[in-house]
Amino acid sequence: MSVRSMLETVIGGFDQKRRWRAYKARKRQLPESQKSAVGAIERYLMYAGGIADGEIATKMLEDLIDLFEQSAADGTTVDAIVGDDPVEFAEEFARNYSEGSWINKERNRLTDAIEAIDDKEGDS
Amino acid sequence: MGKQMTEMLKGTLEGIVLAFLTGNPAYGYEITAWLRSQGFTEIAEGTVYALLVRIEKNGLVDVEKRPSEKGPPRKVYSLNTGGEAYLEEFWTTWGFLAERLENLRTEGK
Repeated sequence: MSVRSMLETVIGGFDQKRRWRAYKARKRQLPESQKSAVGAIERYLMYAGGIADGEIATKMLEDLIDLFEQSAADGTTVDAIVGDDPVEFAEEFARNYSEGSWINKERNRLTDAIEAIDDKEGDS
Repeated sequence: MGKQMTEMLKGTLEGIVLAFLTGNPAYGYEITAWLRSQGFTEIAEGTVYALLVRIEKNGLVDVEKRPSEKGPPRKVYSLNTGGEAYLEEFWTTWGFLAERLENLRTEGK
């Protein structure tokens, strides 16, 4: 599945479509290197972030574009924004939106299962 | 930045930034610039930004948008009561860790 079709599946709804278009327009306005960096990070976040909630995915991209717009205005280079390890940056950034990820359901399920065992052990 | 430094900073950067914000509201660029001046020369602006998004979500800071001369409005972060409580706990934890580690080092000699 292409990133575009994934995004279209994820980002439904009129308001989200409007915000997604606004995001794309803001991306086009960025200087060339910033634009390329946002494109690459966006791709990674969409594939690896595992965000299944369109609202949260949209918010994530809006926060990303806020960072790059502000940094472009300050004259910060892409290297200074992203640092030595772009994957580390993207992972840390994505963690802020983990409540929207499919894996989160499984995390909660695991936590609940262990808690239920704890309760039982506490009784005996 | 060395691997060990990166790992250790992960656990402490929140406290460091909250300490800086005490009585001193600031925006992302200022916070990064200050960290660099404190010797964290290779810290990425994006790392600080991700942290600011997180502490805002966790209710440790208040955010105010202020217009800027160039570019979009800046988000100015200030410590709130939730942040103060977090910072107090951070210093207690840090004190404990620093003391334990110092003991370990001197006992080892």
